[in-house]
Amino acid sequence: MIRSASRRVAGALVLAAGLAIGAAQLCAQAQAQPQTPPEPLSALAPANLSKSRPAAPFNLTGNWFIDNSPGIQGWLFGPATIPKLKPEAQKHRDAYLQAGKEGKVYRDDIGACWPAGVPIIMTRVWPIAMIQMPTAIYMISEFMNSMRVVYLDGRPHTDPDVVVRTFNGESIGRWDGDTLVVETKNFINDPHHWVDQGVPASDELRIIERIRMINDGKTLEIAMTLTDPKNWEGEWKGVRRWNRVDDHDIGEVECLPDLNEHLQSTSSKVHVR
Amino acid sequence: MKKVLFGAALVLACAVPVLAHHSPAAFDRTKEVKLVGTVKEFRWQNPHTWIEVLVPDEKGKEVLWGVELTSPTYLVRAGWKSNIIKPGDKVTVVVNPVRSGEPAGIFRSLTLADGRVLTERPARLGTADSK
Repeated sequence: MIRSASRRVAGALVLAAGLAIGAAQLCAQAQAQPQTPPEPLSALAPANLSKSRPAAPFNLTGNWFIDNSPGIQGWLFGPATIPKLKPEAQKHRDAYLQAGKEGKVYRDDIGACWPAGVPIIMTRVWPIAMIQMPTAIYMISEFMNSMRVVYLDGRPHTDPDVVVRTFNGESIGRWDGDTLVVETKNFINDPHHWVDQGVPASDELRIIERIRMINDGKTLEIAMTLTDPKNWEGEWKGVRRWNRVDDHDIGEVECLPDLNEHLQSTSSKVHVR
Repeated sequence: MKKVLFGAALVLACAVPVLAHHSPAAFDRTKEVKLVGTVKEFRWQNPHTWIEVLVPDEKGKEVLWGVELTSPTYLVRAGWKSNIIKPGDKVTVVVNPVRSGEPAGIFRSLTLADGRVLTERPARLGTADSK
């Protein structure tokens, strides 16, 4: 009996030792694996949409069109308000101005079907459909159907080591009284992304938009502050307005190479690439 | 332009902003060229509609002109339809020419064989003149 009991004790000890070794190996493996944070709820997840939140001060759901009454330059930010450019950016601006003097077009990448990107996509001469949910605002420009999402559900900007940088950047919004404040960053570093004619954007571009609805909901006003320490000094400020369009729905608009072949405006010899 | 094309005449113009996907700087908005010719093709599509017109030069040789228009969004509001012109139609088209001297321009007006005149107006959305 005693010998039998001893054998059982010894067997249990061996089993315990084996379990301990196995557990240690599992812990070591777990520590070696990258830590995956829990997935945040999608902006369209019912559990996110139904969370208790203060009522939004306004709902900008609708179709909006840039107020181009100031004329063509009103669609852009400059040139009067362009801040002091850094030397490399100034080279582009100078080349753009020189091309204009010669009756040429400098680096019209949007015409060549590159994405316009934020902020210029907002001021293209095309309507923008905006759909506001409690958790996000979906903005779809009719031009190239470019989509921009402004998240309102309290999420932070994505880890810069993880985020996929884009022409429209990543926009996070919060309510400040009757104003929606949107911070956009995580832009792509691409030489085809421009802030204005002859003014490049970099991956350090950061935009703060203060959005108000005025004129009994018929007008959207956005005050923008742009910083990009790679391309200019200090802040670049501008205010633009958009008018509500109730008699137009956006459609599919592609920028197609074969279309451009038929347009001298994009294929002519006047272009400086 | 008169030197190049028998059917082209030069007049003065002013600009109207319309839906576009490119810089307008390629065109000389201070000039207009009147093209009297025959439609080769009319393409109804986004972001631009375009017309190709065969225009005889001084020696009677036909030169193919490319004419760029705004999107159907505006044209429909201005009374256009996709079949309002077709290949073979005799038309008069007024354009702002491209600065390079190439046979192309951005649209100003179209006169059909029956005398109807088409433009891109109304040229804006969301403003009083879009109604």
